[in-house]
Amino acid sequence: MLTLKHVSKHFGSHEIIKDLSLHVKEHTIYGFLGQNGAGKTTTMKMILGLYPVDSGEILVQDTPVTYGETKTNHYIGYLPDVPEFYGFMTPTEYLTLCADIAGLLDTDKKSQISEILELVGLIDTNKRIHGFSRGMKQRLGIAQALLGTPKLLICDEPTSALDPVGRKEILDILHTAKKKTTIIFSTHILSDVERICDEIGILHNGRLAHSGTKEELLEDRPDNGFFIEFQTPSDLEKFHTIYPEGTRSDITTLQYPDSKNADMLTALSLLSTHSIVPKRVEQWEPTLESLFMEVIEK
Amino acid sequence: MKPLTAFIKKEWMEMFRNGKLTILLILFILFGIMSPALAKLTPALYEMLAETMKEQGITISQMEVTALTSWMQYFKNAFMELIVLVCMFSGILTNEYQKGTLIPMYTRGLSRSNVLFAKFLTTVIVWTLCYYLCFGITYAYNAYFWDNSIVYNLSLSVFCLYLLGIWLITIIFAVSALLSSGAAVMLATGGIFAALYFMSLIPKISKYLPVRLLNAGELVTKTSSAATSSVLTVDTCYPAIAVTLILCLFNYIIAYLFLRQKKL
Repeated sequence: MLTLKHVSKHFGSHEIIKDLSLHVKEHTIYGFLGQNGAGKTTTMKMILGLYPVDSGEILVQDTPVTYGETKTNHYIGYLPDVPEFYGFMTPTEYLTLCADIAGLLDTDKKSQISEILELVGLIDTNKRIHGFSRGMKQRLGIAQALLGTPKLLICDEPTSALDPVGRKEILDILHTAKKKTTIIFSTHILSDVERICDEIGILHNGRLAHSGTKEELLEDRPDNGFFIEFQTPSDLEKFHTIYPEGTRSDITTLQYPDSKNADMLTALSLLSTHSIVPKRVEQWEPTLESLFMEVIEK
Repeated sequence: MKPLTAFIKKEWMEMFRNGKLTILLILFILFGIMSPALAKLTPALYEMLAETMKEQGITISQMEVTALTSWMQYFKNAFMELIVLVCMFSGILTNEYQKGTLIPMYTRGLSRSNVLFAKFLTTVIVWTLCYYLCFGITYAYNAYFWDNSIVYNLSLSVFCLYLLGIWLITIIFAVSALLSSGAAVMLATGGIFAALYFMSLIPKISKYLPVRLLNAGELVTKTSSAATSSVLTVDTCYPAIAVTLILCLFNYIIAYLFLRQKKL
């Protein structure tokens, strides 16, 4: 569906994107993760032909993207981070304008607009857009982007400015839209990515630091482990003498990073043998957050 | 064709709904009424002035008001009409860049040439409507109160100012494709106009400059050949008209080329 081959982009002397290559498969939600300024929006604007590419190539449906007026935009729906509309129009008028520009047939137009307004919950809204809340604008932005059932939907931080209810609504809409379209979804909210994305790419300093499914990214991560919280410091001292592994994180807690299940079983067995009753034993698993933090701290 | 007509429809909806068209129509109707009204009031003003002057020992002779008096006032108002035009349309493209409203249009497949043409066409139609409405009102009042037949070259002189307006519109578009704020466009357009105005003080090039058309009022009192080289006549206005038409085309092409490369 979408391929980027060795794409680079400078703004003045600053290199924003460095030799970026990625491939997005059809009918997947690709989460594009990165800090503010990592180059997510620049990459999206290059895919849309709104920014020229300094080197490399971008293909949408095997058609090269060209700067300025690109034919590939007929395959794409785009939701900017802060969507702006013509405030003097109603949602139906605005979507009719978009449908006419996209070249939708008159026969399909009305039914598609009603269907899409129903999907985003704006079907009964006849007031002009300038009176809309941010959440309503975001929903209208998705409606605009989904009109004409694009093969590729590009969403630039669609949830970052919304409250939890608004975020849930947008994520639900995107999840529903996945059946008909491929979605690229940029964000710095990790929980949103974990919730709906099939594949994840972490962009850092203009390079794709990691890419794959969540499971692939977290596979073989060294940050498996567990910790034991003791009732008293003397319990901790006693146990640490018997089983001198792990590190103290405070006066009653021992941590066992990078350990396997067998290590935890050994510790539990020793606790039982020496009649030490811990306050809490908890296992931790690698998370996207830990991976993300590791990438950006490098 | 459908994207273009859809975008033109949007432009007109915007003109109506944001009140721009109403404001322009009201202003140009007022400009249209102003010239005959001032001409009509001139004798009364002179009379009032004469009383005061008489006490100081100055005698003011009776002034005869004709259609020419009204038309001369009409041409004096033209500069104000052009200022209104620049103020109202300087943000026509830049407002869209600043708000980001063109991005969904481009990403839906609207071409930049269609955006430019739709906006240019709408602006030209609005200018034509307002300008000729203003002219029509003045013409009707002048015909009612006086006699328009004493005025020479009326159509040509009115067309000269109309063309000057079109040239300014093309300047607004060319500058808008380069700059990103309405205020900057307004200043740049004013700067270009002022620069050409000062260039027109050089006799050798003066007759070729579009700003020469601002003196179109001089045509209504002359039939042909020039009394002095500084006065615009039928013969001397054609080079300025030709150059203005060429510059209009040049500005439009510049606007298109820059808009095509504009980062949004």
